[in-house]
Amino acid sequence: MTDKAAEERQLARVWAPPRGWRYLTDVNNSVVGLWYIVAAFAFMLFGGALALIIRAQLAVPDNNLVSAETYNQLFTLHGTVMMFLFAVPIFEAVAILILPPMLGARDLPFPRLSAFGFWCFAIGGVFVCGSIFFNAAPDAGWFMYPPLSTEQSGIGADIWLLGLSFIEVASIAAAVELIVGVLKCRAPGMHINLTPLYGWYVLIVGAMILFAFPPLIAGDFLFELERAFNWPFFDVTRGGDPLLWQHLFWIFGHPEVYIVFLPAIALLAMIIPTFAQRPIAGYSWIVLSAIGTGFLSFGLWVHHMFTTGLPAISLGFFSAASEAVAIPTGIQLFVFIATVMLGNVVRTVPMLYCLGALATFIVGGLTGVMVAVAPFDFQVHDTYFIVAHLHYTLIGGMLFPVMAGVQYYYPFATGKMLSRTSGIWSFWLVFIGFNVAFLPMHLTGLLGMPRRVFTYGADRGWDTLNMVSTIGAFVLAAGFLLYVWDCVRPKGKEPNAPRNVWNAGTLEWLGRVPSDNWGLRSIPQINSRYPLWDDKDLLDTIDQGRGLLADAKEGRRETLVTSVLDAEPLQVLRVGTPTWLPMLAAIGLAGVFIFPVWKLWWPTLGSAIFFLAILLYWLWTGTAEIPEKQTKDIGDGRRLPLYVAGPRSTGWWAMFITMTGDLTAFLAVLFGYFFFWTIHPDFPPVGIDGPGWQWPLTAAILAIVTWGATLAARLANAAGYVTLSRALLVAAPVGAVFTGLALMAGPWTTGLDPTAHAYPAIVWGLVVWVVAHLLAGTIMQAYCLARTCFGRLTPRHDADLWNVTLYWHFTGFSALLTALVIGGFPLLQ
Amino acid sequence: MSAKRAHNEVERETGHGTDLWRVIAAPIIWALHFLFCYVYAAIYCEKAGRAASLDHPTLVVIIATLVALAGIGLSTHHIWGVRARSLTDNDFEFEHNTPEERHRFLSHVALMLCVLSAVAVLYVTIPMLYLSTCR
Repeated sequence: MTDKAAEERQLARVWAPPRGWRYLTDVNNSVVGLWYIVAAFAFMLFGGALALIIRAQLAVPDNNLVSAETYNQLFTLHGTVMMFLFAVPIFEAVAILILPPMLGARDLPFPRLSAFGFWCFAIGGVFVCGSIFFNAAPDAGWFMYPPLSTEQSGIGADIWLLGLSFIEVASIAAAVELIVGVLKCRAPGMHINLTPLYGWYVLIVGAMILFAFPPLIAGDFLFELERAFNWPFFDVTRGGDPLLWQHLFWIFGHPEVYIVFLPAIALLAMIIPTFAQRPIAGYSWIVLSAIGTGFLSFGLWVHHMFTTGLPAISLGFFSAASEAVAIPTGIQLFVFIATVMLGNVVRTVPMLYCLGALATFIVGGLTGVMVAVAPFDFQVHDTYFIVAHLHYTLIGGMLFPVMAGVQYYYPFATGKMLSRTSGIWSFWLVFIGFNVAFLPMHLTGLLGMPRRVFTYGADRGWDTLNMVSTIGAFVLAAGFLLYVWDCVRPKGKEPNAPRNVWNAGTLEWLGRVPSDNWGLRSIPQINSRYPLWDDKDLLDTIDQGRGLLADAKEGRRETLVTSVLDAEPLQVLRVGTPTWLPMLAAIGLAGVFIFPVWKLWWPTLGSAIFFLAILLYWLWTGTAEIPEKQTKDIGDGRRLPLYVAGPRSTGWWAMFITMTGDLTAFLAVLFGYFFFWTIHPDFPPVGIDGPGWQWPLTAAILAIVTWGATLAARLANAAGYVTLSRALLVAAPVGAVFTGLALMAGPWTTGLDPTAHAYPAIVWGLVVWVVAHLLAGTIMQAYCLARTCFGRLTPRHDADLWNVTLYWHFTGFSALLTALVIGGFPLLQ
Repeated sequence: MSAKRAHNEVERETGHGTDLWRVIAAPIIWALHFLFCYVYAAIYCEKAGRAASLDHPTLVVIIATLVALAGIGLSTHHIWGVRARSLTDNDFEFEHNTPEERHRFLSHVALMLCVLSAVAVLYVTIPMLYLSTCR
C-alpha cells in the first residue's frame, strides 16, 4: 500500500500555485475563475456608475448635468459594458470556477485556454471602458445601428467593433472549454442523467454561443470593412442595406439574452434544491425545457425589428415563436416553484435572492409576452416601456440569480462566510430600489417618453416618474455597494466556514476548508445526482485517497477524461501548467484588434506576428506531447492511455467546436450575399461583370486537391508511410496558396471594385474571409510537417494531424462553397 | 471500489439508439421548418412586391408544416416504444446509475421535446393562415 501522506504531499507540490509576481501566470480554474469574476464585477460597477450619471441627468426636466454628446456615450457604454463585459463573461467566470469540482474533475481540459480567454477579456474590457475618459467612447447605442454608426466621424464605433470582437474571442474560448468539460470530464459513473443541472445548462449555453456569437463576428467583419476601407455593405446609396446589420446583430442579440439568462437560472437550479433540502422536482423537465429554450431563442431575432417595415408575415412568424418560447421558460420557473413548495425551505440570504429573482423575472417575462405581440410593440417600441421590460428580465433573470450565486458560493470560493445581516439589508435595498426605479418606467414609456433622450421638457408630464426612478436607482446602488463591501471586507480573523456549510448534495461542496489546490483528493465513482446526500461513505473514500488518480507520481497535473453518455473512464489527460504564454498571446492579439482603430497597420502586423510566434511556441511545447509511457495505472486496477488522437480526444472536439462556430460566421457572411440578392431586382447589378466562372472553378478544383492532400497525409502517416505523408504536407500548403490566388484572381481580373457597390464588396468579403482561413491552414500544414520531421508526430501519435485535417474539412468546404457561389450563382440569374 | 446503488434499483433491459443527437432531432426539425417558412415568405414578398397575394406561400408553408409534423411524428413513434414501458411503473425521476436509466431519461427528454417542437411548428404556421397579402 502506498503512503497516503506522501501522495498528498506530491499532489500539493504538483498543483502548487505560482508565488510572487508569477501569480499572474496561474492557469488553475479556481484562480482564473476568481480573477474572471472579480474583473466582471469591476466592469459591472463601472457600468452601474454610468447608469447613475444617466439617472442623475434625467432626474429633472431640462437638466444640463451632462451634454447630449456625453449622454450618448454614457448610455451606449452602459449597455455595452453590462452585456458584453458583465452578463456574458460572468457566466464564463462562474462556470470556470465551479464546473470542474461539480463534475468531479481536477481542472477543465484546457486551463491555459481559460487563462487566455480571461486576459483577452480583461484587456479588451479596459480598452472599451477607457475610451470614455478620452471622450472617444462609442455613442450610437449598444446595437450600433448604421447609418448613424457608419457615418459619424468618431472612432467610438471602431473601438466598439474591434474591442468587442476581441472579447468575443474569450467567449468562444470559454464555450469550447466548457462544452468539452461537461461532455468529457465528468467523474466516472456520472451518467448524463446524473449530471448536475448546472452542467446541462452550461452545455446548452456553450452550444448556443457557437451559433449566436459568430453572426456578430461576421457583422463586425463587414462593418469594419465599411468603416476602414469604405466597402458599402450598409450604405443604401451604393446598393447596401442597414437592415443587414440589424439581422446579423439580432441573430446574435436575441439568443444572447438567453445565453445570459440560462446560466444564471442554472445557479437557481443548484441553490434551490440545497435550501429546499430535497432533489429538484422535475430534473428531466428542466433539461428538456432548457434545450427547448435554447432552440426557440434563435427564432426570435426579428421581434427587435418589428418597426423596420418588414412584411407582416415575417413579423407573424417571429411573433409566434416569441410566444412559443414562453412555454419552456415557464416550465423551468414552475419546476423551481414546485421544488420550493415540496421542500422544507431553509431561510438564508441566497434563497432570498432566488425568490427575488423569480418574482422579478416573472414580471419581465409577462411584459415580454406583451411586446412579442407586434401591434403592441409598434406602440411602445423605443420607449421607456422597453427599458423597463429589459431591465426586469435582465436583473430578475441574471443579476439576482448571480447575486444569489455569489452569496451561495462565497464560502466555497474563499472559505469564509458573508454576513447574514448585511445580506438581508442589501437584498431589500436592492430589491426595493430596483422596483422603485424600474416599475414607473412602464408608465413613463406608455406616456411616450422615448429611450435615449438626454433630457425632456417640463410640460411633458414625465418629471415625477423620472424623479422616482432616479431615487430608486440610488437606493439600488446603495444596496449593491453594501453587498460589494460585504464581499471584499477583510475577513482574516473570522473563523473558516465549515465543510459543506449549506449541507448541499452536489460534488463541489466536498472540498476541505481551506481548499486544496488540487481540487479533489481522489476522483470518486458517482452513483446518484446528489452524491453527498445519498452516499454517506463518499467523503471518506475521497479523503483517504481510495478513489481514482489519487497520486501524481510523474509530477504532472492530471485529470480523467470519460465517455459522453455513461462517463466510462477513457483517458488520463495531462493539463497545462502555469505559464506566461496565455497572457503574452492575449497581448499580441490585443494589438491586432486595437491598433486598427487608428489605422496603424504596421503595429497591427507586428502584433499579429508576435501573436503567431507565441501561439506556435505554446502549441509546440505544450500540446500533443508524446508521453513517456502509453498507459497509466489510475488505481482500482484500471489502466488508461495517456495519449489519445482523433474523435476520442479532447483536442479534436475542441477543434470541431471552434470550427462549428467559425463555419457559422462564414455562413453569416454568405447570408449577406443572398440578402443583397433578395433586395436588388438585378443581381449582379447591371454593368458590373465578374468574377466570371473560370477562376472560381479553378479555385474550387484546387481547394478539393488541397483538402484531399491533407486528408491523404493523415491516412498515409497513420498507415506508416511517413515519407509520403511528409511529401503530401509539402504539396498541400502550395496547393492552398494557389487556391487563394485563384480565388482572388476572379474578382481581380474582372475589375470588381469593392468600394463601388455592395455586390463587389460582398464578393471580395467572402474571398478575403476564405483566403485568411487558407493562410491559417497553410501554417497548420507546415506545423504538422515540422512536427513529423522533429519526431513529435509519429504514425502512432498523430493528434496534430487529426486536428489539422478536421480544420481542413471545414476550410475546404468554405472555399468550395465560396467558389461555387461567387462563380456559379451569377450564371443562374 | 464497487459501484454502489444509492437507490432501490430496478433492473431493466438496456435499450440502444438514443443519444444526444436524437434528443435534439425534433427541435432541429422545428428550426429547419421555421427558417424555411421565414426565408421562403421573405424572398417571395421581396420579389413579388408588397401588394402580392400570399396564396402561394400559404400552400407552401402548409405543406412544409405537414412534412415537419410527419418528421416529428416519426421521431415520436421511435421513442414511444422506449417510453411506453415506464409509463406503467410511475417512475419519472430517471436517477439510477445505469446505462438503461440514461437511455430512458434521454428518451423521455426527446419525447417531450417532440411535443414542444410540434406545438412550436403549429404556432409558426398560424400567422400564415390569417394573412392574405405581403403588406
